[in-house]
Amino acid sequence: MTKFFFRAAMPGFSKALTIILVSFLLPATIWSQTVTGTVSDSRNQPIPQVTVTVKRSGDATFTDATGKFSIRATGTDSLEFTSVGFVSQTIGVRGRDNVTLTLEGGTQSLDAIVVTALGISKESKRLGYATTTVRADELTVNRTPNLMNALQGKVAGVNISGLGTGPAGTSKVRIRGQSSISGQNNPLIVVNGIPLDNTNFGTNPTANGSVGGDNSIAVRGGGNTSDGGDGLTSINPDDIESMTILKGAAAAALYGSRAKDGVIMITTKTRGKGKGIGVAYNLNYTNEQPLDYTDYQYEYGQGENGLRPTTANPTSGQWSFGEKFQPGMTQVLFNNLTVPYEPQRDRIKKFFRNGQNLTNTVTIEAGGEKGGLYISLGNLDSKGIVPNNTFNRKTMNLGFSYNLSDKLSILGNANYSIEKNNNPPNIANQDNSIPTVIYNMSNSMPLDLLNANKYNAAGNEFIYSRFMNRTNPYWVLAEQFQNIRRDRLFGNFSVKYDFFKWLFVQARIGQDFWSRDQDFNNFPTGHASRPAAPAGFVNGVYTQEARRFRETNADFLISSNFELSKFGLNVNVGGNQMRRRSDLNSVQVTDFVVRGLYTVQNGRAKDPLYDLQKRGVNSLYGSAEVSYNNFLFINGTLRNDWFSTLSPENRSILYPSISASYLFSENLKSLTWLNLGKLRLAYGEVGSDTDVPPYADVLFYQINANLIPNPAGAAQPVGGPNGTTVPNANLRPMRISEAEIGVELKMFNNRVGLDLAAYRKITSDQIVQAQISDASGFIDTRINSGQSRNLGVEGLLSLVPVQTANFRWEFTANGSYNITKVLSILTDREGERITVGTHVFNGELRQIVGMEMGQIAGFGYKRDAKGNRVFGANGVPVKSDDLVSFGSALPKWVGGFLNSFNYKGISLSFLVDFKLGNKMLSGTNFNMIREGHHKITLEGRVGGVTGKGVNLAGGENTAVTPVQTYWEHLRSQAIIEPVIYNGGYWKLRQITLGYDFTKYLPGGWPIKGVKLSFVANNVLLLKKWIDNIDPESFGYSSDNLVGMESTGLPTTRGLGLNLNIKF
Amino acid sequence: MKKIFQYILLLLVLAFQSSCDKGLSELNENKTSPTAIDPLFQLNNALINLSFPVSTLVYDMGIVQQVISPNGGVLAGANFNQDNRSPLSPLWQAYYRNVIRNTRDVISHTKDLPARSNLMNMGRILQAFSFMVLTDTYGDIPYTEGGLGYSDQLFLPKYDAQQVIYTDIIKELTEASGALDAAQAVEAGDILYGGNIAQWKKFGYSLLLRAGMRLSKADAAKAEATAKAALAGGVILSNADNAILRHDANYLHPIGNTLNGTEGANFFLARPFVDVLKNTADPRLSAIAIRYVGATSGPAQTPAVGTTDPTKQIGMPMGKDNGTAAAAATADGLASYYEYSQVDRRRLTKGTAPAFFVTAAQSQLLLAEARQRGWITAGTVQGYYDAGVRAHMEELATHDANAAVPAAAITTYLTTNPFSPATALQQINTQYWIASFLNGAEAWSNFRRSGFPALSANPYVGDIPAGTFIRRITYPVSEISANTTNVNEAIARQGPDKMDTRVWWDK
Repeated sequence: MTKFFFRAAMPGFSKALTIILVSFLLPATIWSQTVTGTVSDSRNQPIPQVTVTVKRSGDATFTDATGKFSIRATGTDSLEFTSVGFVSQTIGVRGRDNVTLTLEGGTQSLDAIVVTALGISKESKRLGYATTTVRADELTVNRTPNLMNALQGKVAGVNISGLGTGPAGTSKVRIRGQSSISGQNNPLIVVNGIPLDNTNFGTNPTANGSVGGDNSIAVRGGGNTSDGGDGLTSINPDDIESMTILKGAAAAALYGSRAKDGVIMITTKTRGKGKGIGVAYNLNYTNEQPLDYTDYQYEYGQGENGLRPTTANPTSGQWSFGEKFQPGMTQVLFNNLTVPYEPQRDRIKKFFRNGQNLTNTVTIEAGGEKGGLYISLGNLDSKGIVPNNTFNRKTMNLGFSYNLSDKLSILGNANYSIEKNNNPPNIANQDNSIPTVIYNMSNSMPLDLLNANKYNAAGNEFIYSRFMNRTNPYWVLAEQFQNIRRDRLFGNFSVKYDFFKWLFVQARIGQDFWSRDQDFNNFPTGHASRPAAPAGFVNGVYTQEARRFRETNADFLISSNFELSKFGLNVNVGGNQMRRRSDLNSVQVTDFVVRGLYTVQNGRAKDPLYDLQKRGVNSLYGSAEVSYNNFLFINGTLRNDWFSTLSPENRSILYPSISASYLFSENLKSLTWLNLGKLRLAYGEVGSDTDVPPYADVLFYQINANLIPNPAGAAQPVGGPNGTTVPNANLRPMRISEAEIGVELKMFNNRVGLDLAAYRKITSDQIVQAQISDASGFIDTRINSGQSRNLGVEGLLSLVPVQTANFRWEFTANGSYNITKVLSILTDREGERITVGTHVFNGELRQIVGMEMGQIAGFGYKRDAKGNRVFGANGVPVKSDDLVSFGSALPKWVGGFLNSFNYKGISLSFLVDFKLGNKMLSGTNFNMIREGHHKITLEGRVGGVTGKGVNLAGGENTAVTPVQTYWEHLRSQAIIEPVIYNGGYWKLRQITLGYDFTKYLPGGWPIKGVKLSFVANNVLLLKKWIDNIDPESFGYSSDNLVGMESTGLPTTRGLGLNLNIKF
Repeated sequence: MKKIFQYILLLLVLAFQSSCDKGLSELNENKTSPTAIDPLFQLNNALINLSFPVSTLVYDMGIVQQVISPNGGVLAGANFNQDNRSPLSPLWQAYYRNVIRNTRDVISHTKDLPARSNLMNMGRILQAFSFMVLTDTYGDIPYTEGGLGYSDQLFLPKYDAQQVIYTDIIKELTEASGALDAAQAVEAGDILYGGNIAQWKKFGYSLLLRAGMRLSKADAAKAEATAKAALAGGVILSNADNAILRHDANYLHPIGNTLNGTEGANFFLARPFVDVLKNTADPRLSAIAIRYVGATSGPAQTPAVGTTDPTKQIGMPMGKDNGTAAAAATADGLASYYEYSQVDRRRLTKGTAPAFFVTAAQSQLLLAEARQRGWITAGTVQGYYDAGVRAHMEELATHDANAAVPAAAITTYLTTNPFSPATALQQINTQYWIASFLNGAEAWSNFRRSGFPALSANPYVGDIPAGTFIRRITYPVSEISANTTNVNEAIARQGPDKMDTRVWWDK
């Protein structure tokens, strides 16, 4: 293979060698000469208005309408080429007097090539729907361990949330809002035309102990609420050639069911750029500093009911309803330790460390006339901010393409990754959750003492608080572990045969395979909140799991092209067969013989589980595009899916799409300022079974792991129905239809660009996981019901306000407004509702007919007719009679502003992004209020609280309540009103400062380019409305818990550098 | 052009329809999980889940002033007279999801199998038991439509009036107990009685007696008739026939598990209960209680400092939160409130302690009352009374060997606290209150029905009028949220969804 390849690559290689040799032999002339050249795009079309700058002198010029330029430069100079919508490029003159150059197309290129559904490349002008292409450097320079998080705020209509769960955590991506009432809203990830499994192992406390649908898998046995990451973490951004985001149903129609929420299409590199061999090295380092947004009260310290701890135990641990701090006061903690009674600030900085991400990638590219090869080796080393959390990812990527003959070509790609995620932190719960304890620790509890006193005399957890679920975080660090290892191999191989110039056939097979081994001690031995084990054993719970996943996709495509004078016709017909199998072997053991030995063999009671799920989809599809005179394009698609998860009567669904693109600028050539004007219209439908897990049609039974003796002492089995969802054998596919209109303008020599889209998406016949009465014996059931409507606009404005020879300022703004309304659930009666998720403490997420999707509901304050709060006889607030809706948890506005400046090779950019219009229920603040850390609890510390409002009789409330009783009451009454916040924010998301050192490189060096960038991520929180936390610090990966905040890790500010060296 | 293309595709679709469908049904067959099991395993499952959930510790036992917690949050309940709809492991979920769902299945899977008629009737008895506890707790509940989510696709069951429910429970218990037949197949794998039909009959009739006596206020005639029928059928009169679930290390008592886990240090014996036992020199006090002398914290409650000396027991006064409890402890001369007496979590509420559903003591005492009222004619009131007291004292050894009450002490107690016809109902029901210790639901129901013992209302000002007792538990938030129409209909019929609204038999 290698041998054959080198031969193929030789012509290019020798040419490069010649140039290098020539450069050595002939001393580069120091005299300036005239260098001319041509700049074209990847389709060989000339690009006008490209700035050509001599880096040494700063002299600059523009290319003319035919892409030609002429400039004075010396033989050793470097020339930089920049143009709106293209990737800037710097090349050395190297003694030549004529230079030809191809600039890679970017998002806004007139004739940019966009990879559309099924991997069919098209010129963007032909598309009747909205797409966004992301440049590879947007993912690589200012990067994040989960590559999608680097795109926050950059793509119109795309809402990306990185969860505060550690370096290997899930990234939650929503395109054009959320449409599914109680199901999944994840976009489909497609790598090189083949779907990638993006199963997320995110924190999902509602599904405790059960194996959920395909996309959310819960942990057995409790005690573990960490985020195990998603499928995207396997990808090294350095391998990405381009990423295209298909937003609407029409764009995604050919991908069918799984594309109902849009598609993220990733193309990885399969060959070198030019001819010959290129080697590149990329180093990326970021340091992640935990951010502290807490604003506690530090007037009254640890304790309860106005008293500080003055005797050995109990220390309140989690309450700050103690005494007013006075100089010289002491408190007694742990085993009779007397320490100063004083505020302990900066706990977050003290407990958490700075995280680090270090990525090293070496890539080898080779290209020749017949094909090319791409190999990369990457290593990512991450240290999380929780001191024992590390993540390592090794990736190896191989891509190749080769033309075996004039007609036969092959293309392939394989990506292997080994991911080791150690001790991803537990969050958003009580037991073992470090952030929950740190954020809600008494404000005068010294952390070093907590660390020093984590064990009692018996070696168990020292009970430092009567709130025993609040496990000592240092004890968790020392005693609890979790190891996750995933081996993953995905890739595909395709063969293409050109029968005629106008007809080709392609066959492709792809597979995504991973195995994931995970073991963890849910509850370490000696956990204070666990009962003792039977005699002869020590307590604790340990789980060991092995999962395997395989998805294969085999497809074929027949594609033909006809040209008939002004008409063009492109017809594609294809089919796909998808098969997926995932299985899980899990054993959980409780209590151990030998202390500290966490193995299955050492366990007392064993609970094995095997779960196997299979599903398949068969599909046939086709598309036809008619074009007229290169300015009118009409494209229609039709697809039929057959789903294995549905009954034979309901499993087949046929759906169409149609879109049109009209380049009106072609008919308005007199308007010289108008470089491009395009109108888009599209309508598409998609059917989906995504929210139906396999085997959802039958009720299954299970036998418990342990027997129990009857009175005669004979062990007896115990069993019952498995699961709490009533099965439904008559589900139909859900349907999505979406219409969109868009306009795209490029004006004034491409210095002003505008891309607007408006859409209306109706999702009907949804597969709803509807809560039912517990008195039915079950918790919920799946039904086909419900309709929602997403309405939205999204826009991208790009400007080049200043462009001189040496300085260039580019500005882009993107923004989207989306509002999703629930039109019906069981009926379309206004106010009808279902509960789709419950907060770990209080409050729930509801869908209510006639309202925006994702309503946060819970008890509020009871109010009289005039709006006064009502207080009970004892002076505590009375809760509302019914649950109140406090508003939608889904952001309406998402967007960002990017400014980039380029001055003589120095590039600087900064991105401000925002999410607005969403409500949030803060579990962290709920705890802070009930435990007396929040500043709101300062009132009435002396003499008690008298709430402003009326009493039950309607008179003014005069009853006085002790402050701690008053606030704790809210928790037991589940009154969440005081902790409902506006969850929006404005952030300075990224700053990137880069400099290209290439021009300093002597012409003959083996190093062809050096670029260094300093990067900063999550730089500044410009505006927020929520108390004490970053509104991004936690979000469940599940849509059924959106807006239900519960303490996550502090967010981090990343500072680092990216070094790229090309050989 | 596009049309033509669509026709071509449609043709292709038709042509491939059969092949595209092929194999998909097989893919959706779960080849690893069973779709049916022996219903006996489900009966055992229902039995395990019948053990009283922690919500009965937070509410029922506190309302009857036996066990309380001074802590708020999720533990807020009876001690604060507080309407807390989300206490730990609520009864509603535990019984509907894990008991009734299984008993419904047992009954429907065996009703057409004559060979397993005993199993079906055992299922009916358990189901009647669980519905009775539910309706006693909440009032009107989903009964005829309850637990039928899968079999009948009833997702939002309607509520039945408690009177209707009791009528049917009595019918069910009468029929099922009568139909149990030792000549039919015996379900030896049953973990309650090992399939012993005679014992199951006694269990069924004892429940019938309980159900009948429950109606003494609401429908005395029915109460009388039912009690008569129960006695005629034969009730549990000996501890050997007690309906007990024997927990083990894998299936722990929910309350025992909690009291040996997170909440071990947070629940205390209430003063009224301790005082009643102490004032009568009841030997059961040393079997039940422990006081950790000098304890200043939960961890300091070590066996080494524990005393079970009945004279040294001090109950926690009612209605104290962890601030006022500390003050009360100081006033009582204790080092901290952690020094108040607790139910001994190493004996009576150890994790593997059995749960007692129906006992000889309870049946004897109910018969004593029935005899006192003249509803039955066999035996004497004092005979039933003494046998009931004795049975409970003897029963304690079954909880834990170290809780055994010496025979001599029993006799002494009965001699020094003799039965007096003048205070018959008070004495009988006070003993029933003690005999139902740790069965919070039964102790509370009988207290509401009989009005004994004559407890003083918890002084804490909470969500019920001052000077009153909690008379029912409010419906779960999930019902208000999901089953709104039906729960509102029940509320309209029964009265406001408050803790001071009385259930039908308590009117």
